[in-house]
Amino acid sequence: MFLAFFRAFKKIYISHNIVLWLVLLILPVATSTFMVDFFSAETIQHVPIGILKQDRSLLADDIEMALRADPVLSVEMVCEERSECEHAVVRGDLQGFIVLPYDMERRALRLEAPVTPVYSSGQNYLTNTFAVKEIRSVISTIGANQFTKQMDDPIHVELKSVGNNSGNYQGFLGLGLVTAIFHLAGILAAVYLFSFPFRDHRVREFLAAAGNSRMVLGAATFLPMVAILWLSMMAVYAYAHRALAPMTFDEFIMVSAGQLAMLLACSGAGAAFVGITGNMRMSTSVAGVIAGPAFAFAGQTFPVMAMPFAVRCFAFLLPLTHVLKVQSTMLLGSVGKAHAWESIVVLLFMALFWHLLGARLLFLRWKEALVKEADWEAREKLKLKDKIKSAAEAIASDLSVRKAIASDIALRRQR
Amino acid sequence: MIDLFKRLFKVAFAEWKLFYTDPAAVLLLVVAGVLYAFYYPTPYMNQTASKIPVAVVDLDKTVMSRDLTQMSAAAQQIDVRYVFSDIREAEEAMANEKIYGFMVIPQDMEKTLRNGGKTNVNVFTHGAYVMLHGNIGTAFTTCALTVGATTKVKRIALGKKVPAAKAIAMRDPIPISVQTMYNNTGSYSNYVVPSVLVLILQQTLVIGICILGGARAHRKFRKLQRDSSVENELMPYRYFGRSLAYFLHYCSFILFYHFVVYNVFDFPRRGEILPMVAFAIVFLFSVINFGMVLSQVFLRRETSMQLFLYMSIPILFLSNFSWPTELIPAWMKGFSCLLPSTFAIPAWLAIEQRGADIYDAASLLLPLAMQAVFYLLLGLVLTNLRDGSKLETGDM
Repeated sequence: MFLAFFRAFKKIYISHNIVLWLVLLILPVATSTFMVDFFSAETIQHVPIGILKQDRSLLADDIEMALRADPVLSVEMVCEERSECEHAVVRGDLQGFIVLPYDMERRALRLEAPVTPVYSSGQNYLTNTFAVKEIRSVISTIGANQFTKQMDDPIHVELKSVGNNSGNYQGFLGLGLVTAIFHLAGILAAVYLFSFPFRDHRVREFLAAAGNSRMVLGAATFLPMVAILWLSMMAVYAYAHRALAPMTFDEFIMVSAGQLAMLLACSGAGAAFVGITGNMRMSTSVAGVIAGPAFAFAGQTFPVMAMPFAVRCFAFLLPLTHVLKVQSTMLLGSVGKAHAWESIVVLLFMALFWHLLGARLLFLRWKEALVKEADWEAREKLKLKDKIKSAAEAIASDLSVRKAIASDIALRRQR
Repeated sequence: MIDLFKRLFKVAFAEWKLFYTDPAAVLLLVVAGVLYAFYYPTPYMNQTASKIPVAVVDLDKTVMSRDLTQMSAAAQQIDVRYVFSDIREAEEAMANEKIYGFMVIPQDMEKTLRNGGKTNVNVFTHGAYVMLHGNIGTAFTTCALTVGATTKVKRIALGKKVPAAKAIAMRDPIPISVQTMYNNTGSYSNYVVPSVLVLILQQTLVIGICILGGARAHRKFRKLQRDSSVENELMPYRYFGRSLAYFLHYCSFILFYHFVVYNVFDFPRRGEILPMVAFAIVFLFSVINFGMVLSQVFLRRETSMQLFLYMSIPILFLSNFSWPTELIPAWMKGFSCLLPSTFAIPAWLAIEQRGADIYDAASLLLPLAMQAVFYLLLGLVLTNLRDGSKLETGDM
């Protein structure tokens, strides 16, 4: 049995083209590492803004200097007219602009509280929110310095993101995207591995390598796949997690158990898709439709509780939603462990369901394919025989025609 | 000349017919564009996340702390579900996802403030949820700072002996008024979906072209028509004829998105005709030629689908719709210049969402036009090379 397993493993994984390794290892690792590095700046900085200085005063200069000194903002344009700044926002060159109105300083010193309009594009929701918050803070600090410099604010608010104190985007989005990419990889790789014997009409060959045991063939297909994906996922996850506080051993065990359960569920789903559709193209399409936009449904960017009911149900069926829950509760430290287990149990049930369904359907498909391939081979043999026969007949008739012509020529010569 | 157009349209029509008769092509070039346009925005149908469940940990238990709790309960973004007296209860509720954040009102807050001192109010949010962090933070901070501002105004009024109105002006002599120009409601769908729609157009078109073998002659999957004259037209006719079919087909998708999808999901439609037409021409030619280049690489029809499914997330983020360009590593910025979406998504957002005129849009469309020319030349060369090579493997 072990020998059959290794023979089948060799047949599937070693003697195969580059596409398998692209789908299984190279692309998931490359794209997820890419996404982690994409957020290497970690926090939002240098948001491009403009200033329209209608007031040429010391206060206006102070505000401009303070805005230029702020790391979150980058003053890219000092506009002469409002339309200049507006067009820059339309083009996307600026995320917003501030109008420092005429007589701002004079009116501020006379305690008339001149309103300073801040125009924010709003299109880029997250960046704009950050930028507006920062502009508000800079201007109110400058304003406070005018009259109440020695008087601190009585209440100071500290905003802490638990498990991600610095609001690091590698922690916010990077980790989620790594998991989303491996979620997709789990389904796609399973679809590829379970469907290519059908596509290439090689089911008999693979079954023969597995000692004609469908169980061994199934195990030799999915076990190494899950192992490769799991190890590579843990490596990329660890790489992404370096931006946050180090995990304890318990947390590491919980997260990796959750990730393994997700990969098991995904590989089962991939196998089931192949079992249902019976071909690579259709099953890849189904996998793409479900797993492609899964990150949007999983609740890390837009919360699940704010989604419509039907979408919430769909989100619940995605393994990604549950593994992200495991990862996020682990950010809360030891208090989240008990709740993480609940998600892992859901994932294990999913894995069991998909694997049973996939195994049942694939066993039927393999059986069907064996008959089909035998028929197909017999037909091909028959076709080949027919071809040989007709070719032989053609040669024979050609020979007889030639003989007739030759005898005709000989007869004519004799005459 | 008439013969030239006749041959070109014959190729275009044959290819267009294939979009509806080849099962793989139907799925990608017809179904996917429509399905994704309705499927992807559904999570964001409620547009904003309001009334996020939160808690207040009141360690002070005074009139002022109760005021602060009530003020928080009245905020639109959050819903104060629990008032705890122990921080551990709040942590437990957050781990259980009953709440996504909590504010800790410190012990003796009122006493400290009345004695002229300073105090710290801590707001904790769940570290894994990017959007909730901002919403909860803003709501609690605004409430806490309002209480702080009231105290400060009283202190100024008493300390400097000025009336309350003057004290308010002294506390904040330059108040700001924020005007949001294009997404007044802070809608998440309005922020994400328009960019994704452009990506859907690009990805389905590129994969569709790859699945149909680009401009190749003698395509193996066209079993009966493999040797037909339309299939094996001269290379320029094949290339431009098939490109024309894709172009016309995807123009209908842009119209569909503009008139139907934008209406259904209530996205702003500020696009003027001239920039929209210019965008459609430049964007589609760039993507079609990009697809024509890539299609020469694959041996099997489904390989492009398997590979491009992985690329969607990085390609979307590279278009800078959410993360400032300046923060992207230089090599990624360089790589992104190869992708049509890098220029197309900002151009589409400028034209359709922000109503850019042709002058504003020109600077965004120029790089796309340059890409179109570059990929056209490369596509012609590669198709010519591929026509010359007789590969036995694969189904292309």
